[in-house]
Amino acid sequence: MSGTLGLSEGAAILIVLLVGFLPTEIWRALAVVAGRRIPESSAVFHWVRAVATALLAAVVARLVVAPTGVLETVPLLVRVAAVAGGVAAFVASRQSIFIGVLAGELILVGAMLLGAG
Amino acid sequence: MPLHPFDSHAGTGAGPASAAPAEAIARPQGDPANADSQGSHGALPAGAPRSAFGWFVRGMRHAVTVPALVLLASYLGYGALLQGVGFPPWAGALSTLLIWALPAQVILVGGLVSGVPLPALALAVGLSSIRFLPMTMSIAPYIRSHRGRLLVDLLCAHYVAMTMWLEGLRLLPPLPTEARVPFALGMGNFYIASAMLGTVLGYMLAAQVPPLLAAALLLMTPLSFTLMLVRNSRTPTDWLAFAAGFVLMPLTLGLGGGLDLMIAGIGGGTLAYVGGRIAERRRA
Repeated sequence: MSGTLGLSEGAAILIVLLVGFLPTEIWRALAVVAGRRIPESSAVFHWVRAVATALLAAVVARLVVAPTGVLETVPLLVRVAAVAGGVAAFVASRQSIFIGVLAGELILVGAMLLGAG
Repeated sequence: MPLHPFDSHAGTGAGPASAAPAEAIARPQGDPANADSQGSHGALPAGAPRSAFGWFVRGMRHAVTVPALVLLASYLGYGALLQGVGFPPWAGALSTLLIWALPAQVILVGGLVSGVPLPALALAVGLSSIRFLPMTMSIAPYIRSHRGRLLVDLLCAHYVAMTMWLEGLRLLPPLPTEARVPFALGMGNFYIASAMLGTVLGYMLAAQVPPLLAAALLLMTPLSFTLMLVRNSRTPTDWLAFAAGFVLMPLTLGLGGGLDLMIAGIGGGTLAYVGGRIAERRRA
């Protein structure tokens, strides 16, 4: 299947650099420059860490609640059950990420196979 | 041949190391964007490494776990997307190396397909990446060169993304100060190499992936990050921030444009910070 974009490799690399790399890397660089003056134990540091944690949780929640691609075709209940089941297995297995991911995936695949059959 | 990745977990003491099937992740054969990695299969000291290079290798070996496998799987989907829309493969692999943020990469490619003007697209990518500001700031003390060399600090900061942030905050603080930068570079290069491998494989395998498998691959990221967030949460503030982000996100979903994440993040994080302070004061 041939593409619809019709970009040459060189043009695409330029776009990656200017439209992708630059607007992303600027935040990391700013953080390095700003972060040099913030001691590990300060209140600002703890607040920044809380914001980063909440942001990441929000990103994850969005991937579950409003996913893109094929995951959209999986009912919300199944997506939530898969993540919840994964967490339960993770806790029950004394914090094995492998077991947790495996359990969550099995719930998703199992539910979809049963639903389709 | 590959060293066994789990013989050096003793002494971390932070619960059992998640057991990844070592053979499931092929050690990339190529040079993972760092000339120092050549010959990395040399003998390792049994105890703590004595050189920066030793710590680099140690960092790499700690990266050979489920999160790296999840990265590979997640980027399979990205590679398949690239193939589907006809984005050139080398530029695609470069986007993983340089942007190193899957949401931003998906926005970039998706925006190109729907014909968004490039300046507007740059703005959208920038908005989606603002989270790197607090993320990088909060991990910076652990990936800072102790001699204060700005270029080294900037290089280390480049590796900051979700996986690196979560695993870094867990693994880096207990290490000796001089070990953190090489360890972080070892981890980061391995993660990026896994993701680039995923991008290329996804590009090659696209269209051959059945929908159910594709859905399972897409679940990998939110599922594994949820588990890592649970594992990393120690203080009341951590738990509150985790919960606030999860609960606020669906409420702000309608706002769109990257604003929803900022509200859930800054609002939720601030609430968690205040709540955590109150909880700690009560306990004291």
